[in-house]
Amino acid sequence: MTPLNDRISGGAIATLGAIAFLYGSKLPPVPGQQVGPAAFPMVVGGLLVLCGLMIVLGVGRHFEEVAEADLASHTAPEYLEPLPAWRAWLALLPPALVVFYALASERLGFLLTAGIMVLIASLAFGARPKLAVPLALIAPFVINLIFLKLLRVPLPGGMLPFPW
Amino acid sequence: MDTLIQAFGLVFAPEVMIAIFASAIYGLVVGSLPGLSATMATALLVPITFYLSPIAAIATIITASAMAIFSGDIPGCLLRIPGTPASAAYVDDAYAMTRKGEAETALGICLWFSALGGIAGTLSLMVLAPTLAEFALSFSTYENFWLAMLGLMCATLVARSSPIKAIAAMLLGLLITCIGIDNPGGVPRFTFGSTDLLGGIEVIPALVGVFALSEVMRSLTEREPPKLEHRKLGSILKGQIELTKKHPKQQVRGNIVGIIIGVLPGAGADMAAWVSYAMAKRFSKTPEKFGTGHPEGLIEAGASNNASLASGWVPALLFGIPGDTITAIAIGVLYMKGLNPGPTLFTEQASSMYAFYIIFLLGNIIMIPLGIILIRMASRVVGAPRSAVMPVIMVFCAVGAFATAGNNLFAVWCVAFFGCLGYVMDKNGYPVAAMVLGVVMGTMVEQSLVTSLIKSDGSILPFFSRPVSMVLAAMTITALLWPVFVWTWRRMQARRRVSMA
Repeated sequence: MTPLNDRISGGAIATLGAIAFLYGSKLPPVPGQQVGPAAFPMVVGGLLVLCGLMIVLGVGRHFEEVAEADLASHTAPEYLEPLPAWRAWLALLPPALVVFYALASERLGFLLTAGIMVLIASLAFGARPKLAVPLALIAPFVINLIFLKLLRVPLPGGMLPFPW
Repeated sequence: MDTLIQAFGLVFAPEVMIAIFASAIYGLVVGSLPGLSATMATALLVPITFYLSPIAAIATIITASAMAIFSGDIPGCLLRIPGTPASAAYVDDAYAMTRKGEAETALGICLWFSALGGIAGTLSLMVLAPTLAEFALSFSTYENFWLAMLGLMCATLVARSSPIKAIAAMLLGLLITCIGIDNPGGVPRFTFGSTDLLGGIEVIPALVGVFALSEVMRSLTEREPPKLEHRKLGSILKGQIELTKKHPKQQVRGNIVGIIIGVLPGAGADMAAWVSYAMAKRFSKTPEKFGTGHPEGLIEAGASNNASLASGWVPALLFGIPGDTITAIAIGVLYMKGLNPGPTLFTEQASSMYAFYIIFLLGNIIMIPLGIILIRMASRVVGAPRSAVMPVIMVFCAVGAFATAGNNLFAVWCVAFFGCLGYVMDKNGYPVAAMVLGVVMGTMVEQSLVTSLIKSDGSILPFFSRPVSMVLAAMTITALLWPVFVWTWRRMQARRRVSMA
């Protein structure tokens, strides 16, 4: 039986392919030409459906098992021990902070936004406040300096513009 | 001769020299930190290259990647944790040598044979690329289409995962390039009324997301590597000349395998190291010693992964087909700098090409002194707390993408999205590199396919009837069916073993 993850991801791929195929088939043709913008999404979508179904059925699973066993034999055993499950959810933090940058940087300014991002991320990585706070104060300044002085890219000033 | 002098002039400009030196240090440090790969080092450099001259921009990528592939060996030797995936194949042997008190020799082998491998790779680039360029000038859209297909298929072949998943990942990348109005009909596709999506997904934010942000995400879910003890090291290069004389076969074989794997699209330094290590073991007179601190595998794989770096540029410069993930990023930079990949690059921009060769050689030469300095400082650099490094990288992902996309916040959203996508794909065994190849090559594949079909009035016959395209088509189909052969062969072997027992 194929692992649950493969059935889910394979199903998602097949669905995505089907959507791409249908969407592609509705694209308007270029007058006077047999092939236009519709061809490529339809081909890719169709193939994705095929791949998705094969993944659901577990085709090619054998190759993964070989590669996994190979990798495991080359990794230090203490590195392979599973970590508590809540750690997996922590992975969502970096993208969330990047989205926070997209939402807040214009209003708060680069220094403040980046400071908050560094502080939270650093604490999440298990830093003591003794390291995290100075890092959150200094790192944004240095990055701003690199972009402003070396590369001449102004970063958003916002509430707390770069002082010079 | 004139072009050569011109090329030296280009390389020895102050801006380029500073770029080489700074990126060398950057590459060494990033590569030596466990969890930060050479590809990530390159992806984070792109925003910087945006504001440099074309030669300086490419120089930073060449130097930083070569340094990072070498310095990934350092934590492998000292901690048994590969600094970059390209060092993973031989950490056992490297660490076993350190345990036996031969840390200097192990590190020396990594440094010395990395530099030699890099130089061998550069020579192959200098010979192969211009020869192939002449040949490639006669290619039409049909050949270009098959070449691109062959590139995409190779990438799925060499992925250390299920070939079906690799193909799916590659197709996903192709689908991503469909977004926007940059297509044969100029109609908006998959934009869903969004003006941001009209311009399509930019390659650079996607790469930064997939290669840098998702690494930050992954490291949050993994435990911190152990601290490195400070240790006194003797002379690093002592005995390396003898080892070179003693193991010429391993070195040359490593170089050649590395060069071949580098030229194959999509397969890079990691793959080169794995294959070369396996080769060294297969042909060794003492295979039982492998994994116990035996220098042979270390020499062969160390020579191989650095050789693959330079030869990876052959398909990248000639056809815009990435030889590995690092050149996938480099192709984006080449386009950005107006050095569009293609065989004409070698005729019209000959001095720039010579400049690249010089930079490659220079990079591999300065690797030796800078590498020794880094090894001496290793306990301080490798011990840099992850909780300080990762947050800074994360901010860099956001702000770097923002700056390259002309201060557009949509790029930042893209970074976050592709970070999550890369993470989820990796956790489920979908090779991210294959998707990236699709993203980089999608527009080219579609253009060559649609133009060819328009030329032939919708007939697929010319795709197979022209001599060169016929050969390329046969190779592509072989690549597609290869996993089936492998699977059947393994099946038969297993059955034979059962019947014998």
